[in-house]
Amino acid sequence: MDQTSTLEKVLRRVAISLVILFFMFPIFWIVLMSFQTNETILRVPPSIVFEPTLSNYVALITGRLETQAGTLEVNFMSNLWNSLFLSAGSVAVGLILGIPAAYAFGRIKFRGSEDIAFTLLSFRFAPPLLVLLPLTIYFQKIGLADTYFGLIWVYQLIVLPLILWIVRGYFEDIPADIEYAYRIAGHSWFSTFRKVALPLAMPGIAAAGLLAFIFAWNNFIFALVLASADKQPVTVGALAFVTASGIQYGQVAAGIVLSILPTLALALYAQRYLVEGLSLGAVKG
Amino acid sequence: MYDKEKQLIDAYMRGTVSRRSMIKGLGAMGMTAATAGVLVNAAATQALAQNGFDWKKHSGTTVKLLLNKHPYTDAMIANLDNFKALTGMDVVYDVFPEDVYFDKVTAALSSGSSEYDAFMTGAYMTWTYGPAGWIDDLNEYIFDETKTNPDYDWGDMLEGVRKSCAWNGQPGGELGSDDAKQWCIPWGYEQNNLTYNGSMLAKAGVAVPTNIDELVEAAAAAQAANDGIYGIGVRGSRSWATIHPGFLSGYSNFDQKDLNVSDDGTLSAAMNTKVSKAFHRKWVKMIQDSGAPDWSTHTWYQVGTDVGAGKSAMIYDADILGYFMNGGGNAMAGELAYAPFAANPAASAPTPNIWIWSLSMSTFSKQKDAAWHFLQWASGPEHGLFGASQMDFVNPVRASVWEDAGFRKRLSDSYPGYVEMHDVSAPGASIKFTAQPLFFDLTTEWAATLQKMVASQVPVDEGLDQLAESVNAQLKDAGLG
Repeated sequence: MDQTSTLEKVLRRVAISLVILFFMFPIFWIVLMSFQTNETILRVPPSIVFEPTLSNYVALITGRLETQAGTLEVNFMSNLWNSLFLSAGSVAVGLILGIPAAYAFGRIKFRGSEDIAFTLLSFRFAPPLLVLLPLTIYFQKIGLADTYFGLIWVYQLIVLPLILWIVRGYFEDIPADIEYAYRIAGHSWFSTFRKVALPLAMPGIAAAGLLAFIFAWNNFIFALVLASADKQPVTVGALAFVTASGIQYGQVAAGIVLSILPTLALALYAQRYLVEGLSLGAVKG
Repeated sequence: MYDKEKQLIDAYMRGTVSRRSMIKGLGAMGMTAATAGVLVNAAATQALAQNGFDWKKHSGTTVKLLLNKHPYTDAMIANLDNFKALTGMDVVYDVFPEDVYFDKVTAALSSGSSEYDAFMTGAYMTWTYGPAGWIDDLNEYIFDETKTNPDYDWGDMLEGVRKSCAWNGQPGGELGSDDAKQWCIPWGYEQNNLTYNGSMLAKAGVAVPTNIDELVEAAAAAQAANDGIYGIGVRGSRSWATIHPGFLSGYSNFDQKDLNVSDDGTLSAAMNTKVSKAFHRKWVKMIQDSGAPDWSTHTWYQVGTDVGAGKSAMIYDADILGYFMNGGGNAMAGELAYAPFAANPAASAPTPNIWIWSLSMSTFSKQKDAAWHFLQWASGPEHGLFGASQMDFVNPVRASVWEDAGFRKRLSDSYPGYVEMHDVSAPGASIKFTAQPLFFDLTTEWAATLQKMVASQVPVDEGLDQLAESVNAQLKDAGLG
């Protein structure tokens, strides 16, 4: 029976609204900015009443930015594509390598398994620049510098430990008896992994994949150091609107809106997996 | 090209028609100023091709540049086809945003990458790159007649700017000394002077300040007389970049230095003298009374944006920052004016510290002679004049460009006082810091101390004594003190 009083309901809703307002306000403000010119954004005092313009989005999508210094070329859409390709590619490779490894670490006890798992995790702790400078030299020698293949390989430093440790926890939570029962019925080890373990771990895998995608998307130092301007992700590309002759706030805001869309769409799609996967994978016993 | 236009341009090249008349004539023929500028420069490039230098020596070679996203870069790219036609070479480039640009440069150089043949840099950065062996001494090219075209005219570079890009690599060594290495070639530079909003000062009934005392008073008066603004914009973030613009320009006008260099070459802190303390007190009071409320976060961007948006009455910062903010897209476009500023009432002229965007050659380049072909063209008088008169390649580093009547008129028409400001302060303009490897660390600490003083966390005199003590300890630890 619901014993919540009306006052309590109202207060609860007000509190929720305040929390939503607090967290969503920056996003809301950025969306508003993306439909304004620099002049209206910078007016004193600021106002939410303005004549909306699509010029910022047009500049980003067409790649031509009109400034007082003339028409400038911007490569934002190419940056967006690079981010998409690098993040999706590295998560795909990370999943292919990380899921079997996570299963092995979760199910099979072998000498040094914990050491190897912690070594992989330690990649997350290494300061990126410390790793990148020697890597630059090696990559140049073996021809991987300034290639998408090389970048996706280096992105494994971000995604692989994440996928491995989240999915491992999830595999460990699946009762081993289910797999034993399937094996007793005469199925192979690989078949058990594919038909039993993998489907049961799918929410955890989706959550790990999504988190890895977000981490890969937000990275900028790897491509900055290892690749040319034409392979830079959106995190580097968005900075191009901050120039000596002024900050193009409208384009920065439009760039932010465009760059959060893919991650937002993916997160909305995989939301239920994310919550379920993370909560289940985190609980032992 | 049509015959009439060609004849007019040829007449200009022969010197029988002035530049202004020629541009006006081309305009009458229906040509835009920008197109006319490119065509004129194409004609100038043709003339360059006939100066006896073998411009085609590296025809077919491709050089790769690492560039910062900047109006200087835009000007170069706009004129690049002329270089390609002149030399038969190709030029490819990577342009990175300034926020991450120097990380990219440092990563490329420290890894010994041969990917980039030449790159943009600041003169301060060469104090690290040069001694590390990452960049070449360009004297080897400039004074080699077989490698440098006869019209390059190195002596045309403004002396203070040219010397500021040369250092002998000895900590404390004088910039531009006889034994100095030319680590970079000046490309475009910034002096630090006043950019002010005339109507805001007029409303307060104050004249354009001419020394630090007047500046403190004018900033306070302008703030009081104009609603919702602050009086003076200067940088305040915890960074070396807070010290180098207006602050150091005013400080050095009182003959003050950052470091003392003794006869045996050892360095020691020089910022806790009586005169320095007096200057610091005025500077701190100015910010406390009339600076931005969030001054301690202010960088180039906030200082510029605020004066452009009409949120501040003046800035004591880079002249080109005021130049950019006087352009379209800013609320105060066309409202800003410029004045030279000598902080010391007893000084005869300003002594602005300067920032120089320069070009350096990577030691790891595999085609240095070809890269030098590009560098001498990009820093040559023809491109300098094209960029300054048609694009935003301002401030030019060549005296000949500053003497060009068309360029001076263009500036004077839209940027009141800019030319006069430059003329007055250029003779005293140079880098005022002592060249030494701890430059960034020590200067950042100076900025941090300034923040504490403005926040009244430490009295000025005591703060400077503590800073000097810390600087001396760091210099000793590094074997410099």
